[in-house]
Amino acid sequence: MADMTKPEWQAQKTYDQNRADCRVKATRPPLTPDEEKRPFAKYYYDEIPQPDPVHYATMDEPMDPADAIYPEDINRLLDVPALEAGVEIGWCNLPNGAGYIANRIHYPQFTADMVDWWFAWHPLEDLRYRIWYPPQHAGIMLSPMDRARILDDSIPNREKNWGVVHNVTENCDNGYENIDIAFRSPADAGFDMEKFDKVAATMAGGMGWAVTVDKTDESITAPALMVHMFYDAPEGGLIHRTRFWMGYRFNEKDKPELCLPPGVSVPVEAVQGLARHNVKEYTRWREFLPRIHAELGSGMYC
Amino acid sequence: MPIKLMAASRRRPGLTRAEYFRYIEHYHGTVARVERFKIEKYIQNHVIDGAFGVLSDDSHQNKVTDRDAVVELHFDSFRDMLATLEPEGVTQSRANQDGRFFADEANNVLVMAEEEELPVASPMPAFNPGLGEPGHGALKVMQYIMRRPDVFPQDFHRLWRRAHDEALATSSYANEMFRKITVSRRSRVNDNDAAARAHFRMVDPPVYDLVVSITLDSMEQVGAFRQYFDAMTKSALDFADWSQSFFLYVRPVRIIDDASAKE
Repeated sequence: MADMTKPEWQAQKTYDQNRADCRVKATRPPLTPDEEKRPFAKYYYDEIPQPDPVHYATMDEPMDPADAIYPEDINRLLDVPALEAGVEIGWCNLPNGAGYIANRIHYPQFTADMVDWWFAWHPLEDLRYRIWYPPQHAGIMLSPMDRARILDDSIPNREKNWGVVHNVTENCDNGYENIDIAFRSPADAGFDMEKFDKVAATMAGGMGWAVTVDKTDESITAPALMVHMFYDAPEGGLIHRTRFWMGYRFNEKDKPELCLPPGVSVPVEAVQGLARHNVKEYTRWREFLPRIHAELGSGMYC
Repeated sequence: MPIKLMAASRRRPGLTRAEYFRYIEHYHGTVARVERFKIEKYIQNHVIDGAFGVLSDDSHQNKVTDRDAVVELHFDSFRDMLATLEPEGVTQSRANQDGRFFADEANNVLVMAEEEELPVASPMPAFNPGLGEPGHGALKVMQYIMRRPDVFPQDFHRLWRRAHDEALATSSYANEMFRKITVSRRSRVNDNDAAARAHFRMVDPPVYDLVVSITLDSMEQVGAFRQYFDAMTKSALDFADWSQSFFLYVRPVRIIDDASAKE
Protein backbone atom coordinates (compact mmCIF):
# COMPACT_ATOMS: atom_id res chain seq x y z
CA MET A 1 0.00 0.00 0.00
CA ALA A 2 1.44 3.34 -1.08
CA ASP A 3 2.19 5.94 1.60
CA MET A 4 0.12 8.85 0.27
CA THR A 5 1.70 11.26 2.75
CA LYS A 6 4.99 11.19 0.82
CA PRO A 7 5.86 14.29 -1.23
CA GLU A 8 5.73 12.28 -4.44
CA TRP A 9 1.97 11.78 -3.88
CA GLN A 10 1.29 15.07 -2.12
CA ALA A 11 2.49 16.95 -5.22
CA GLN A 12 -0.69 15.99 -7.05
CA LYS A 13 -2.89 18.85 -8.29
CA THR A 14 -6.08 18.72 -10.29
CA TYR A 15 -5.99 19.57 -13.98
CA ASP A 16 -7.69 22.94 -13.63
CA GLN A 17 -5.64 23.87 -10.55
CA ASN A 18 -2.40 23.05 -12.34
CA ARG A 19 -3.40 25.07 -15.39
CA ALA A 20 -4.10 28.04 -13.09
CA ASP A 21 -0.83 27.52 -11.19
CA CYS A 22 1.23 27.52 -14.39
CA ARG A 23 1.08 31.30 -14.71
CA VAL A 24 2.67 31.57 -11.28
CA LYS A 25 5.17 28.81 -12.04
CA ALA A 26 6.20 30.75 -15.15
CA THR A 27 7.44 33.56 -12.90
CA ARG A 28 9.91 31.05 -11.39
CA PRO A 29 9.20 32.00 -7.79
CA PRO A 30 11.74 31.25 -5.04
CA LEU A 31 11.61 27.75 -3.59
CA THR A 32 9.04 27.21 -0.84
CA PRO A 33 10.21 26.16 2.65
CA ASP A 34 9.04 22.60 1.92
CA GLU A 35 10.99 22.58 -1.34
CA GLU A 36 14.11 23.86 0.39
CA LYS A 37 13.99 20.76 2.63
CA ARG A 38 14.01 18.33 -0.29
CA PRO A 39 17.33 16.47 -0.64
CA PHE A 40 17.75 17.67 -4.23
CA ALA A 41 17.07 21.38 -3.54
CA LYS A 42 20.80 22.13 -3.56
CA TYR A 43 20.99 21.40 -7.29
CA TYR A 44 18.71 24.37 -7.91
CA TYR A 45 21.54 26.63 -6.83
CA ASP A 46 24.24 25.02 -9.00
CA GLU A 47 26.24 27.19 -11.33
CA ILE A 48 24.75 26.28 -14.70
CA PRO A 49 27.38 25.20 -17.27
CA GLN A 50 27.35 27.09 -20.56
CA PRO A 51 27.21 25.22 -23.87
CA ASP A 52 30.33 24.66 -25.91
CA PRO A 53 30.54 27.87 -27.98
CA VAL A 54 31.19 26.06 -31.25
CA HIS A 55 28.29 23.69 -30.68
CA TYR A 56 25.93 26.51 -29.70
CA ALA A 57 26.99 28.64 -32.67
CA THR A 58 25.95 25.83 -35.01
CA MET A 59 22.39 26.84 -34.16
CA ASP A 60 22.95 30.41 -35.40
CA GLU A 61 21.97 29.64 -38.99
CA PRO A 62 19.61 27.07 -40.50
CA MET A 63 20.98 23.86 -42.00
CA ASP A 64 20.18 22.63 -45.51
CA PRO A 65 16.72 20.94 -45.35
CA ALA A 66 17.99 18.34 -47.83
CA ASP A 67 20.02 16.91 -44.95
CA ALA A 68 17.01 16.47 -42.67
CA ILE A 69 15.29 13.23 -41.71
CA TYR A 70 11.48 13.14 -41.86
CA PRO A 71 9.41 11.52 -39.10
CA GLU A 72 8.04 8.97 -41.56
CA ASP A 73 11.67 7.79 -41.85
CA ILE A 74 12.32 7.57 -38.10
CA ASN A 75 14.10 4.23 -38.57
CA ARG A 76 16.93 6.10 -40.26
CA LEU A 77 17.94 6.94 -36.67
CA LEU A 78 18.99 3.30 -36.42
CA ASP A 79 21.54 3.61 -39.24
CA VAL A 80 24.43 5.04 -37.25
CA PRO A 81 27.06 5.17 -40.03
CA ALA A 82 24.64 7.18 -42.19
CA LEU A 83 23.86 9.49 -39.27
CA GLU A 84 27.55 10.08 -38.67
CA ALA A 85 28.02 10.93 -42.34
CA GLY A 86 25.12 13.40 -42.26
CA VAL A 87 24.19 16.58 -40.39
CA GLU A 88 23.93 15.81 -36.68
CA ILE A 89 23.50 19.32 -35.28
CA GLY A 90 21.23 21.95 -36.81
CA TRP A 91 17.74 23.20 -37.49
CA CYS A 92 15.65 24.34 -40.43
CA ASN A 93 12.20 24.64 -41.88
CA LEU A 94 11.38 21.70 -44.13
CA PRO A 95 9.87 22.45 -47.56
CA ASN A 96 6.43 21.48 -46.17
CA GLY A 97 6.71 24.17 -43.47
CA ALA A 98 7.53 21.87 -40.54
CA GLY A 99 10.33 22.77 -38.14
CA TYR A 100 13.23 20.30 -37.87
CA ILE A 101 15.88 20.11 -35.16
CA ALA A 102 18.83 17.74 -34.84
CA ASN A 103 21.26 17.64 -31.95
CA ARG A 104 24.03 15.32 -30.80
CA ILE A 105 25.86 15.27 -27.46
CA HIS A 106 28.32 12.77 -25.98
CA TYR A 107 27.86 11.92 -22.29
CA PRO A 108 31.06 10.18 -21.13
CA GLN A 109 29.68 9.22 -17.71
CA PHE A 110 26.17 8.11 -18.63
CA THR A 111 24.50 4.71 -18.70
CA ALA A 112 21.10 3.79 -20.15
CA ASP A 113 19.84 2.98 -16.65
CA MET A 114 20.64 6.53 -15.53
CA VAL A 115 18.64 7.95 -18.44
CA ASP A 116 15.68 5.67 -17.76
CA TRP A 117 15.72 6.60 -14.08
CA TRP A 118 15.82 10.33 -14.83
CA PHE A 119 12.91 10.38 -17.25
CA ALA A 120 10.76 8.47 -14.74
CA TRP A 121 11.96 10.31 -11.61
CA HIS A 122 11.85 13.94 -12.68
CA PRO A 123 8.11 14.45 -13.44
CA LEU A 124 7.02 13.70 -9.88
CA GLU A 125 7.56 17.20 -8.47
CA ASP A 126 7.98 20.71 -9.87
CA LEU A 127 11.37 21.09 -8.23
CA ARG A 128 12.75 17.93 -9.85
CA TYR A 129 12.06 19.51 -13.22
CA ARG A 130 13.27 22.94 -12.19
CA ILE A 131 16.69 21.69 -11.07
CA TRP A 132 17.26 20.22 -14.55
CA TYR A 133 17.58 23.66 -16.08
CA PRO A 134 16.66 26.39 -13.56
CA PRO A 135 16.84 29.31 -16.00
CA GLN A 136 14.02 27.99 -18.19
CA HIS A 137 12.25 25.03 -16.52
CA ALA A 138 9.33 26.23 -14.41
CA GLY A 139 7.27 23.21 -13.40
CA ILE A 140 5.75 19.85 -14.21
CA MET A 141 2.64 17.83 -13.34
CA LEU A 142 1.35 14.30 -13.90
CA SER A 143 -2.24 13.12 -13.83
CA PRO A 144 -3.19 10.91 -10.85
CA MET A 145 -3.24 7.79 -13.01
CA ASP A 146 0.10 8.62 -14.63
CA ARG A 147 1.60 9.31 -11.21
CA ALA A 148 0.43 5.90 -10.00
CA ARG A 149 2.14 4.29 -13.00
CA ILE A 150 5.42 6.10 -12.39
CA LEU A 151 5.34 5.07 -8.72
CA ASP A 152 4.42 1.47 -9.49
CA ASP A 153 7.45 -0.59 -8.43
CA SER A 154 6.46 -3.45 -10.69
CA ILE A 155 7.03 -1.40 -13.85
CA PRO A 156 10.67 -1.11 -15.01
CA ASN A 157 12.01 2.45 -15.18
CA ARG A 158 12.44 2.14 -18.93
CA GLU A 159 8.71 1.49 -19.40
CA LYS A 160 7.22 3.81 -16.76
CA ASN A 161 6.68 6.69 -19.18
CA TRP A 162 5.06 4.65 -21.94
CA GLY A 163 1.63 6.25 -22.35
CA VAL A 164 2.31 8.86 -19.66
CA VAL A 165 1.84 12.61 -20.24
CA HIS A 166 4.25 15.14 -18.72
CA ASN A 167 2.49 18.51 -18.34
CA VAL A 168 5.51 20.84 -18.30
CA THR A 169 5.88 24.60 -18.10
CA GLU A 170 9.01 25.61 -19.97
CA ASN A 171 10.59 28.48 -21.88
CA CYS A 172 12.10 27.39 -25.19
CA ASP A 173 13.55 30.83 -25.85
CA ASN A 174 10.14 32.21 -26.92
CA GLY A 175 8.37 32.76 -23.61
CA TYR A 176 6.80 30.30 -21.18
CA GLU A 177 4.56 27.60 -22.60
CA ASN A 178 2.51 24.74 -21.22
CA ILE A 179 3.67 21.67 -23.10
CA ASP A 180 1.85 18.37 -22.75
CA ILE A 181 4.29 15.65 -23.78
CA ALA A 182 2.74 12.21 -24.35
CA PHE A 183 5.56 9.69 -24.14
CA ARG A 184 5.52 6.51 -26.19
CA SER A 185 7.29 3.20 -26.32
CA PRO A 186 9.85 2.91 -29.15
CA ALA A 187 7.45 0.61 -31.00
CA ASP A 188 4.60 3.12 -30.74
CA ALA A 189 6.94 5.86 -31.93
CA GLY A 190 7.41 3.88 -35.14
CA PHE A 191 10.69 2.05 -34.61
CA ASP A 192 11.44 -1.36 -36.05
CA MET A 193 12.08 -3.08 -32.72
CA GLU A 194 14.27 -5.82 -34.11
CA LYS A 195 16.74 -3.18 -35.33
CA PHE A 196 16.14 -0.87 -32.37
CA ASP A 197 17.19 -3.50 -29.85
CA LYS A 198 20.44 -4.06 -31.72
CA VAL A 199 21.36 -0.38 -32.13
CA ALA A 200 19.82 1.75 -29.38
CA ALA A 201 20.68 1.75 -25.67
CA THR A 202 17.41 3.45 -24.73
CA MET A 203 15.01 6.14 -25.93
CA ALA A 204 12.57 8.76 -24.63
CA GLY A 205 10.12 10.44 -26.94
CA GLY A 206 6.61 11.05 -28.09
CA MET A 207 4.33 13.90 -29.06
CA GLY A 208 3.95 17.33 -27.49
CA TRP A 209 1.32 20.07 -27.72
CA ALA A 210 2.55 23.53 -26.72
CA VAL A 211 0.66 26.73 -26.03
CA THR A 212 1.64 29.90 -24.25
CA VAL A 213 0.84 30.04 -20.52
CA ASP A 214 -1.03 33.27 -21.32
CA LYS A 215 -3.35 31.40 -23.67
CA THR A 216 -6.20 33.32 -25.25
CA ASP A 217 -8.93 32.20 -27.60
CA GLU A 218 -6.68 32.99 -30.56
CA SER A 219 -3.51 31.28 -29.27
CA ILE A 220 -2.10 28.52 -31.45
CA THR A 221 -1.55 25.16 -29.80
CA ALA A 222 1.40 23.70 -31.68
CA PRO A 223 2.19 20.00 -32.05
CA ALA A 224 5.64 18.46 -32.32
CA LEU A 225 7.13 15.00 -32.41
CA MET A 226 10.22 14.46 -30.30
CA VAL A 227 12.71 11.67 -29.94
CA HIS A 228 15.76 11.40 -27.70
CA MET A 229 17.82 8.41 -28.83
CA PHE A 230 20.70 7.07 -26.79
CA TYR A 231 23.45 4.83 -28.17
CA ASP A 232 26.41 3.18 -26.48
CA ALA A 233 29.48 5.26 -27.37
CA PRO A 234 32.61 3.38 -28.53
CA GLU A 235 34.72 5.63 -26.31
CA GLY A 236 32.45 5.00 -23.30
CA GLY A 237 29.23 6.55 -22.04
CA LEU A 238 26.32 7.38 -24.34
CA ILE A 239 25.72 9.32 -27.53
CA HIS A 240 22.47 11.29 -27.39
CA ARG A 241 20.76 12.17 -30.67
CA THR A 242 17.70 14.41 -30.53
CA ARG A 243 15.20 15.08 -33.30
CA PHE A 244 12.18 17.37 -33.23
CA TRP A 245 9.58 17.68 -35.97
CA MET A 246 7.49 20.75 -35.20
CA GLY A 247 4.08 20.90 -36.84
CA TYR A 248 3.67 17.13 -36.88
CA ARG A 249 1.48 14.97 -34.66
CA PHE A 250 0.81 11.25 -34.36
CA ASN A 251 -2.67 10.54 -35.64
CA GLU A 252 -5.04 7.90 -34.23
CA LYS A 253 -3.34 5.29 -36.40
CA ASP A 254 0.04 6.19 -34.82
CA LYS A 255 1.31 7.68 -38.08
CA PRO A 256 3.14 11.04 -38.23
CA GLU A 257 0.86 13.62 -39.83
CA LEU A 258 1.71 17.19 -40.75
CA CYS A 259 -1.04 19.43 -39.43
CA LEU A 260 0.01 22.87 -40.57
CA PRO A 261 -2.45 24.78 -42.71
CA PRO A 262 -1.37 24.78 -46.37
CA GLY A 263 1.17 27.52 -47.02
CA VAL A 264 1.99 27.99 -43.31
CA SER A 265 5.46 27.35 -41.82
CA VAL A 266 6.49 26.97 -38.19
CA PRO A 267 8.02 30.36 -37.29
CA VAL A 268 11.79 30.42 -37.60
CA GLU A 269 12.07 31.91 -34.10
CA ALA A 270 10.25 28.92 -32.63
CA VAL A 271 12.48 26.38 -34.39
CA GLN A 272 15.73 28.14 -33.57
CA GLY A 273 14.57 28.85 -30.03
CA LEU A 274 13.84 25.20 -29.31
CA ALA A 275 17.16 24.19 -30.93
CA ARG A 276 19.12 26.55 -28.70
CA HIS A 277 17.12 25.58 -25.61
CA ASN A 278 17.81 21.93 -26.35
CA VAL A 279 21.57 22.54 -26.44
CA LYS A 280 21.45 24.49 -23.18
CA GLU A 281 19.28 22.08 -21.16
CA TYR A 282 21.25 19.01 -22.25
CA THR A 283 24.58 20.69 -21.62
CA ARG A 284 23.40 21.12 -18.05
CA TRP A 285 22.06 17.55 -17.94
CA ARG A 286 25.40 16.17 -19.11
CA GLU A 287 27.15 17.57 -16.08
CA PHE A 288 24.38 17.03 -13.53
CA LEU A 289 22.78 13.63 -14.12
CA PRO A 290 25.75 11.49 -12.96
CA ARG A 291 25.91 13.43 -9.67
CA ILE A 292 22.20 13.29 -8.83
CA HIS A 293 21.87 9.69 -9.95
CA ALA A 294 24.73 8.68 -7.67
CA GLU A 295 22.96 10.37 -4.77
CA LEU A 296 19.28 9.56 -5.38
CA GLY A 297 19.09 7.08 -8.23
CA SER A 298 17.99 4.05 -6.21
CA GLY A 299 14.28 4.64 -6.75
CA MET A 300 11.45 7.08 -7.32
CA TYR A 301 11.02 8.24 -3.70
CA CYS A 302 13.33 10.45 -1.71
CA MET B 1 -10.54 7.84 -41.30
CA PRO B 2 -7.86 10.02 -39.70
CA ILE B 3 -10.01 12.94 -38.63
CA LYS B 4 -13.56 14.17 -38.71
CA LEU B 5 -15.44 17.31 -37.83
CA MET B 6 -18.70 16.94 -35.93
CA ALA B 7 -21.08 19.88 -35.66
CA ALA B 8 -24.17 19.56 -33.49
CA SER B 9 -26.58 22.32 -34.37
CA ARG B 10 -30.09 23.60 -33.76
CA ARG B 11 -32.48 24.73 -36.48
CA ARG B 12 -32.82 28.45 -37.04
CA PRO B 13 -35.82 30.40 -35.75
CA GLY B 14 -38.92 30.06 -37.86
CA LEU B 15 -38.32 26.56 -39.25
CA THR B 16 -40.26 23.44 -38.32
CA ARG B 17 -38.24 20.26 -37.82
CA ALA B 18 -39.66 18.80 -41.04
CA GLU B 19 -38.70 21.90 -43.01
CA TYR B 20 -35.24 21.87 -41.47
CA PHE B 21 -34.58 18.19 -42.23
CA ARG B 22 -35.87 18.58 -45.79
CA TYR B 23 -33.61 21.56 -46.36
CA ILE B 24 -30.38 20.13 -44.95
CA GLU B 25 -30.78 16.74 -46.59
CA HIS B 26 -31.97 17.75 -50.03
CA TYR B 27 -30.61 21.25 -50.58
CA HIS B 28 -27.59 21.61 -48.28
CA GLY B 29 -26.59 18.01 -48.91
CA THR B 30 -26.66 18.65 -52.65
CA VAL B 31 -24.51 21.75 -52.22
CA ALA B 32 -21.94 19.63 -50.38
CA ARG B 33 -21.94 16.99 -53.13
CA VAL B 34 -21.54 19.63 -55.84
CA GLU B 35 -18.89 21.58 -53.95
CA ARG B 36 -17.15 18.68 -52.25
CA PHE B 37 -13.64 20.06 -51.81
CA LYS B 38 -11.67 17.49 -49.72
CA ILE B 39 -14.61 15.85 -47.92
CA GLU B 40 -14.10 12.08 -47.81
CA LYS B 41 -17.40 11.18 -46.16
CA TYR B 42 -20.37 13.24 -45.00
CA ILE B 43 -23.09 11.88 -42.73
CA GLN B 44 -26.01 13.91 -41.45
CA ASN B 45 -27.56 12.62 -38.24
CA HIS B 46 -31.13 13.85 -37.92
CA VAL B 47 -32.23 14.04 -34.30
CA ILE B 48 -35.32 12.07 -33.34
CA ASP B 49 -35.13 12.65 -29.59
CA GLY B 50 -32.62 13.30 -26.87
CA ALA B 51 -31.97 14.29 -23.27
CA PHE B 52 -29.75 16.95 -21.75
CA GLY B 53 -28.32 16.52 -18.26
CA VAL B 54 -29.58 13.90 -15.82
CA LEU B 55 -32.75 13.24 -13.84
CA SER B 56 -31.21 14.52 -10.63
CA ASP B 57 -30.87 18.03 -12.12
CA ASP B 58 -33.67 20.41 -11.14
CA SER B 59 -33.15 22.52 -14.25
CA HIS B 60 -30.98 22.38 -17.34
CA GLN B 61 -27.30 23.15 -16.72
CA ASN B 62 -26.18 22.59 -20.28
CA LYS B 63 -24.90 25.63 -22.05
CA VAL B 64 -26.76 24.46 -25.14
CA THR B 65 -29.83 22.28 -25.47
CA ASP B 66 -32.20 21.24 -28.25
CA ARG B 67 -29.92 19.88 -30.94
CA ASP B 68 -31.64 19.04 -34.24
CA ALA B 69 -28.78 17.51 -36.22
CA VAL B 70 -25.17 16.41 -35.98
CA VAL B 71 -23.18 16.50 -39.20
CA GLU B 72 -20.04 14.40 -39.47
CA LEU B 73 -17.50 15.43 -42.10
CA HIS B 74 -14.64 12.97 -42.54
CA PHE B 75 -11.25 13.92 -43.99
CA ASP B 76 -8.06 12.07 -44.82
CA SER B 77 -5.98 14.65 -42.95
CA PHE B 78 -6.19 17.82 -40.91
CA ARG B 79 -4.86 19.75 -43.90
CA ASP B 80 -7.74 18.46 -46.01
CA MET B 81 -10.14 19.66 -43.34
CA LEU B 82 -8.62 23.12 -43.41
CA ALA B 83 -8.62 23.17 -47.20
CA THR B 84 -12.36 22.52 -47.08
CA LEU B 85 -13.18 25.02 -44.35
CA GLU B 86 -11.01 27.69 -45.96
CA PRO B 87 -10.87 26.72 -49.63
CA GLU B 88 -8.13 28.40 -51.59
CA GLY B 89 -9.36 31.14 -53.91
CA VAL B 90 -12.89 31.12 -52.48
CA THR B 91 -14.05 33.85 -50.13
CA GLN B 92 -16.94 31.79 -48.80
CA SER B 93 -17.96 28.35 -50.00
CA ARG B 94 -21.60 27.79 -50.99
CA ALA B 95 -22.03 25.44 -48.03
CA ASN B 96 -20.68 28.11 -45.71
CA GLN B 97 -23.04 30.76 -47.07
CA ASP B 98 -25.96 28.34 -46.89
CA GLY B 99 -25.69 27.64 -43.16
CA ARG B 100 -27.55 30.74 -42.04
CA PHE B 101 -30.69 29.58 -43.88
CA PHE B 102 -31.22 26.55 -41.65
CA ALA B 103 -28.97 26.67 -38.54
CA ASP B 104 -28.85 28.78 -35.40
CA GLU B 105 -25.15 29.17 -36.08
CA ALA B 106 -23.96 30.98 -32.96
CA ASN B 107 -24.59 27.98 -30.71
CA ASN B 108 -23.22 25.19 -32.88
CA VAL B 109 -21.17 22.66 -30.90
CA LEU B 110 -18.10 21.48 -32.74
CA VAL B 111 -15.78 18.56 -32.08
CA MET B 112 -12.77 17.64 -34.23
CA ALA B 113 -12.29 14.02 -33.41
CA GLU B 114 -10.54 10.79 -34.20
CA GLU B 115 -12.53 7.57 -34.21
CA GLU B 116 -11.98 4.19 -32.65
CA GLU B 117 -14.44 1.36 -33.01
CA LEU B 118 -14.87 -0.77 -29.90
CA PRO B 119 -15.87 -4.43 -29.94
CA VAL B 120 -19.49 -5.38 -29.24
CA ALA B 121 -20.78 -8.66 -27.87
CA SER B 122 -23.63 -8.98 -30.38
CA PRO B 123 -22.96 -7.54 -33.82
CA MET B 124 -25.90 -7.62 -36.20
CA PRO B 125 -26.27 -11.32 -37.04
CA ALA B 126 -27.43 -10.99 -40.66
CA PHE B 127 -28.22 -8.34 -43.22
CA ASN B 128 -31.77 -7.11 -42.93
CA PRO B 129 -32.79 -4.15 -45.08
CA GLY B 130 -35.56 -3.43 -42.60
CA LEU B 131 -32.89 -2.52 -40.05
CA GLY B 132 -30.90 0.20 -41.72
CA GLU B 133 -27.62 -0.56 -43.40
CA PRO B 134 -25.60 -3.75 -43.78
CA GLY B 135 -23.96 -4.57 -40.50
CA HIS B 136 -25.45 -1.58 -38.71
CA GLY B 137 -28.75 -0.90 -37.04
CA ALA B 138 -31.11 1.87 -38.07
CA LEU B 139 -30.85 3.97 -34.93
CA LYS B 140 -27.75 5.69 -33.63
CA VAL B 141 -27.33 7.14 -30.15
CA MET B 142 -24.81 9.98 -29.96
CA GLN B 143 -23.65 10.67 -26.43
CA TYR B 144 -21.71 13.91 -25.82
CA ILE B 145 -19.75 13.57 -22.58
CA MET B 146 -18.19 16.59 -20.90
CA ARG B 147 -14.99 16.07 -18.91
CA ARG B 148 -14.98 17.33 -15.35
CA PRO B 149 -12.61 20.33 -15.31
CA ASP B 150 -10.46 18.87 -12.54
CA VAL B 151 -9.81 15.61 -14.43
CA PHE B 152 -6.79 15.37 -16.72
CA PRO B 153 -7.83 14.59 -20.31
CA GLN B 154 -5.75 11.42 -20.44
CA ASP B 155 -7.35 10.11 -17.24
CA PHE B 156 -10.80 11.12 -18.50
CA HIS B 157 -10.51 8.77 -21.46
CA ARG B 158 -9.09 5.94 -19.34
CA LEU B 159 -11.79 6.31 -16.71
CA TRP B 160 -14.52 6.46 -19.33
CA ARG B 161 -13.26 3.19 -20.80
CA ARG B 162 -13.27 1.52 -17.40
CA ALA B 163 -16.76 2.81 -16.63
CA HIS B 164 -17.96 1.74 -20.08
CA ASP B 165 -16.66 -1.81 -19.63
CA GLU B 166 -18.15 -2.01 -16.15
CA ALA B 167 -21.50 -0.63 -17.34
CA LEU B 168 -21.70 -3.16 -20.15
CA ALA B 169 -20.79 -5.95 -17.75
CA THR B 170 -23.86 -5.13 -15.66
CA SER B 171 -26.23 -4.26 -18.53
CA SER B 172 -27.29 -7.48 -20.21
CA TYR B 173 -29.88 -5.87 -22.50
CA ALA B 174 -27.35 -3.31 -23.72
CA ASN B 175 -24.80 -6.05 -24.30
CA GLU B 176 -27.35 -7.91 -26.37
CA MET B 177 -28.53 -4.94 -28.44
CA PHE B 178 -25.50 -2.69 -29.04
CA ARG B 179 -24.54 -3.44 -32.66
CA LYS B 180 -21.68 -0.98 -33.08
CA ILE B 181 -19.82 1.37 -30.74
CA THR B 182 -17.65 4.18 -32.10
CA VAL B 183 -15.63 6.40 -29.81
CA SER B 184 -14.83 9.88 -31.14
CA ARG B 185 -12.09 11.51 -29.06
CA ARG B 186 -11.57 15.24 -29.36
CA SER B 187 -8.23 15.96 -31.01
CA ARG B 188 -5.88 18.68 -29.83
CA VAL B 189 -6.05 20.12 -33.35
CA ASN B 190 -9.46 21.26 -32.13
CA ASP B 191 -7.60 23.77 -29.94
CA ASN B 192 -6.84 25.70 -33.13
CA ASP B 193 -10.39 25.79 -34.39
CA ALA B 194 -10.66 29.46 -35.30
CA ALA B 195 -11.36 28.57 -38.95
CA ALA B 196 -14.01 26.07 -37.98
CA ARG B 197 -15.63 28.48 -35.52
CA ALA B 198 -15.70 31.07 -38.25
CA HIS B 199 -17.12 28.54 -40.73
CA PHE B 200 -19.86 27.49 -38.33
CA ARG B 201 -20.13 30.99 -36.78
CA MET B 202 -19.96 29.68 -33.22
CA VAL B 203 -19.72 31.95 -30.19
CA ASP B 204 -17.90 30.60 -27.12
CA PRO B 205 -18.97 26.99 -27.64
CA PRO B 206 -18.80 24.39 -24.86
CA VAL B 207 -16.01 21.82 -25.16
CA TYR B 208 -16.76 18.12 -25.30
CA ASP B 209 -13.81 15.72 -25.16
CA LEU B 210 -15.75 12.61 -26.10
CA VAL B 211 -18.68 11.57 -28.28
CA VAL B 212 -19.78 7.95 -28.12
CA SER B 213 -21.94 6.64 -30.97
CA ILE B 214 -23.90 3.45 -30.37
CA THR B 215 -25.98 1.75 -33.04
CA LEU B 216 -29.16 -0.16 -32.23
CA ASP B 217 -31.51 -2.05 -34.52
CA SER B 218 -34.36 0.43 -34.18
CA MET B 219 -36.06 2.89 -31.85
CA GLU B 220 -37.68 -0.10 -30.14
CA GLN B 221 -34.37 -0.92 -28.44
CA VAL B 222 -33.47 2.44 -26.89
CA GLY B 223 -34.20 0.94 -23.48
CA ALA B 224 -30.88 -0.85 -23.93
CA PHE B 225 -29.09 2.49 -24.04
CA ARG B 226 -31.06 3.68 -21.00
CA GLN B 227 -29.90 0.65 -19.06
CA TYR B 228 -26.28 1.33 -20.03
CA PHE B 229 -26.59 5.08 -19.39
CA ASP B 230 -27.95 4.51 -15.88
CA ALA B 231 -25.06 2.17 -15.11
CA MET B 232 -22.55 4.72 -16.48
CA THR B 233 -23.89 7.64 -14.47
CA LYS B 234 -23.96 5.55 -11.28
CA SER B 235 -20.31 4.57 -11.70
CA ALA B 236 -18.05 5.27 -8.74
CA LEU B 237 -15.49 6.55 -11.24
CA ASP B 238 -15.81 10.32 -11.20
CA PHE B 239 -14.74 11.73 -14.53
CA ALA B 240 -17.74 13.31 -16.29
CA ASP B 241 -20.00 16.27 -15.74
CA TRP B 242 -23.22 14.46 -16.55
CA SER B 243 -25.30 17.60 -16.00
CA GLN B 244 -23.54 19.22 -18.94
CA SER B 245 -23.55 16.09 -21.06
CA PHE B 246 -26.32 14.97 -23.40
CA PHE B 247 -27.40 12.20 -25.71
CA LEU B 248 -29.33 12.19 -28.96
CA TYR B 249 -31.25 9.48 -30.77
CA VAL B 250 -30.55 10.10 -34.44
CA ARG B 251 -31.31 8.81 -37.93
CA PRO B 252 -28.07 8.72 -39.98
CA VAL B 253 -28.38 10.04 -43.55
CA ARG B 254 -25.53 9.44 -46.02
CA ILE B 255 -24.75 12.52 -48.07
CA ILE B 256 -21.28 11.56 -49.37
CA ASP B 257 -19.79 8.10 -48.95
CA ASP B 258 -17.63 6.40 -51.55
CA ALA B 259 -17.28 3.19 -49.58
CA SER B 260 -18.56 0.15 -51.37
CA ALA B 261 -22.09 -0.95 -50.51
CA LYS B 262 -20.90 -4.10 -48.78
CA GLU B 263 -18.71 -2.30 -46.28
